[in-house]
Amino acid sequence: MHDHELPARGAERTLRRSLFGLSPIAESLVAAVLGLGLGAIIMALSGFNPILAYAALLKGGFASTYALATSAACAAPLLLTGLTFAICARAGMFNIGAEGQVYMGALATVTLSYFVLPPGLAQIVGILFAMTAGALWSLVPALLRVFRGVNEVISTIMFNWVSHFLALYLVARVLVDPARSSQTVRVPVAARFPILIRGTDLSYAAFAALAFAVVVYILLWHTALGYEIRAAGFNPRAAKYGGIKSRRTMVVSFLLGGMSAGLAGAAMTMGTPPSYAVFAGLSQIANLGFNGMAVAMVGRNHPLGMIASALFFGGLAAGAREMQMTAGVPTEMVSVVQGVIVVTLAVPELVHIFRIFRGRWPRLLGKRGEA
Amino acid sequence: MAQEGPPSPETRQEQLFLVAHGISKTYSDGTEALKTVDLEIRRGEIVGLLGENGAGKTTLTKILSGLLPPTEGRVESPQGSVQFGSPREAMEFGIGMVHQHFALVGPFTATENVALGHEHPFSRVRLAKTRERLESLMEESGLHVPLDVPIEKLAVGEQQRVEILKVLSRDVDLLILDEPTSVLTPLEVDDLFDLLRRLRARGKSIILITHKLKEVQSITDRIVVLRHGKLVGNVKTSDATTEQLARLMVGQALEAGTSAVELRDEALPVRRDRERAGPEGETAIVLHVENLMARGSTGEMAVEGVSFDVHAGEIFGVAGVEGNGQTELVECLTGLRAPRQGRATIRGTDILRKDPKDIYRLGVAHIPEDRWEVGLILPFTLAENAILGIHRWERFRGPLRMLRWQAVQKHVTELMDRFEIRATGPNAPAKSLSGGNQQKLIVGRELAKDPEVIVAAQPTRGLDVASAKYIRELLEQMRGKGRAILLVSADLDEVLALSDRVAIMYEGRFMAVCAPSELTRERIGMLMGGVTSTSEEVCSA
Repeated sequence: MHDHELPARGAERTLRRSLFGLSPIAESLVAAVLGLGLGAIIMALSGFNPILAYAALLKGGFASTYALATSAACAAPLLLTGLTFAICARAGMFNIGAEGQVYMGALATVTLSYFVLPPGLAQIVGILFAMTAGALWSLVPALLRVFRGVNEVISTIMFNWVSHFLALYLVARVLVDPARSSQTVRVPVAARFPILIRGTDLSYAAFAALAFAVVVYILLWHTALGYEIRAAGFNPRAAKYGGIKSRRTMVVSFLLGGMSAGLAGAAMTMGTPPSYAVFAGLSQIANLGFNGMAVAMVGRNHPLGMIASALFFGGLAAGAREMQMTAGVPTEMVSVVQGVIVVTLAVPELVHIFRIFRGRWPRLLGKRGEA
Repeated sequence: MAQEGPPSPETRQEQLFLVAHGISKTYSDGTEALKTVDLEIRRGEIVGLLGENGAGKTTLTKILSGLLPPTEGRVESPQGSVQFGSPREAMEFGIGMVHQHFALVGPFTATENVALGHEHPFSRVRLAKTRERLESLMEESGLHVPLDVPIEKLAVGEQQRVEILKVLSRDVDLLILDEPTSVLTPLEVDDLFDLLRRLRARGKSIILITHKLKEVQSITDRIVVLRHGKLVGNVKTSDATTEQLARLMVGQALEAGTSAVELRDEALPVRRDRERAGPEGETAIVLHVENLMARGSTGEMAVEGVSFDVHAGEIFGVAGVEGNGQTELVECLTGLRAPRQGRATIRGTDILRKDPKDIYRLGVAHIPEDRWEVGLILPFTLAENAILGIHRWERFRGPLRMLRWQAVQKHVTELMDRFEIRATGPNAPAKSLSGGNQQKLIVGRELAKDPEVIVAAQPTRGLDVASAKYIRELLEQMRGKGRAILLVSADLDEVLALSDRVAIMYEGRFMAVCAPSELTRERIGMLMGGVTSTSEEVCSA
């Protein structure tokens, strides 16, 4: 208690508390093991060899430079959409609008094709386009929540559908590539993220994602604004008492989330060869927002934890192809594994979220002080 | 409080109803709430369960009423060993508990509330039958409540009676009441105690959890004292002296006048740039409130035209039963609620409808009445909580506007030192602290703001004796340093002991503003209950 002499290590301890607190990590690991285990059982029941399948999955996801690069490439957008969910969860909200914000971000970047910009500036403009598009798309649900009390779950779901059909329209009619009607115009070469490892999909987009995660971490845990966001997220009444405007923290966290999701869209268009465009069915950008929620859950809504969980899910996605080729297990099996993990984790996480929502910590946790 | 001897010791008084043997309870986090406690409950007796906060009173009664399983030990009745898997099983055996926070459905009437959970889940709800039963039960017990009015429209005392009625309607033999008087007016307390005596006369056993010595002495037959989870006393009420009970409960002699706390001077520096002792000296008005009106959360008028001044070096107390507008008054003055009309200034500067942040900058510290939901962010660490509201201080700002956690850490270690906050460290979550330490953390944080005005709402509620004493002494020290203190408390003794002037609040108005010496307890009781002896209360204050 009397350690004033010691250099204070608030930062480290704060990190350790949220990242290396045993139980959350153990929870995530248990869920992952459970997911893989149940996946194995289902495979065995379906007549596949689970050991062979997982060996292939591991090989395809992590066993070579190529595999790791592919995993990392898959992980980058997932990390970003995960951050969308995580930031808002820290602010006390359930933002599931990343999906639509990704579409908007992705479509904003392909418009780069109508401009002529030098390399360097082109990437920056592309990132700004994507982040702005994502942020703007998340602004309406945020404002509805703050000023009209509209539940953000409802509004973001609605906005996902709006953006889905809007994106389909834009891809087919407005941004369509005159040469290939099955996709949009392509991001110009000058605006593309350079590839990091030749022959793989891994581009500088991964660095962008990583950088964003670090920025979010610093913002949330090492700035007064982040403190306010987390305070309002845990307890809006106490936050108000502390002079914190939770309307502001809500809007800020939504905008940050939108920027993150927009950047995920940019990673898919500016940073993923070979198309550098959005396909007519939105196939390559669909579901990123939802899968990001799984990343956030396994990573315990902590940017640094989520880097690990994004790599895990990225590895699953990357290894799925190898699994199909070697063990003949359909890639959908990966979705099964992912689903089980999410359900396992969702149970405590949902309880947690509902507690935050109801702002009833003392009553639900039992009053230790009075016990 | 009316004194009344225990009923004539009839034979059934000696009949055992329940015996608890060696009850221990260790929570999953390792907290030992109870250590081998033995307890006997006889028929037709009122047992007072006395203890500080965290002594294990609630845990013990939760075990008896089936809410918690004991880690060790067993509960027996004369018929043999009993084990309750749920409150329902305990209820069927004849044990019912009235909790501090009522478990009533607001929009339902008393009848509907009693019927709730009474019937088989799939059977038709027969309200008429329940109502009939309740009427006869009310006749029998002399306990009367309006049966057809929604619960939320009833006064707290009435709600409590509904709770008691609900438990009695289950034919219980042992009634456990958790701090039942904390929300009642003195008159309501008398009514409650009359009711308990009648129930005792009918052979019911009652366990009364309390920390109020006077009450426990006025109504119980036997007093069981718990301290730190151990049973430290089991005495006949008639044999016990107040001092003895207090000693058992606290485990240390609490002598008036001796300060358990010595606050170092540098702990609370007097701001030189804003000396309080102006030419007017002690009489300088710091906080001025004029005709303040505010609505409560449900839209009703809660504060109906309150005016008062708080001077430098004065504690202005607001007494009254909770729910008479004190909460709203405090919220208006601290920026948490917008008033309907009125004026409030601090040294001439308007504070109404301002942000809590701006009001703090004008020199107001606020110790909120709700520690858990307003004063603290429970999942946050001690350090994080220690900067709530002052997190934008220059001192905590580093390069790139980042928070300097080292400075925060230093600040919190100092607070822990000065205010005797006991915790495993600055990074312990606030929810892991005991109530007393949580409150010390809040008080320490607020006093660190070096405020000119301190608004303290229920500052010692639910705290153990030592912590409560400590916080009262801090308030007195603040007064000595010339701060203007607005003390709102439902604890009458506290208000009377600390305040220079006392206002008694009833239904949004001040019934009287007097010096404590001008008030008798009876008169306060009447005022708190809305009864004025003359058409207008006049005091010299």
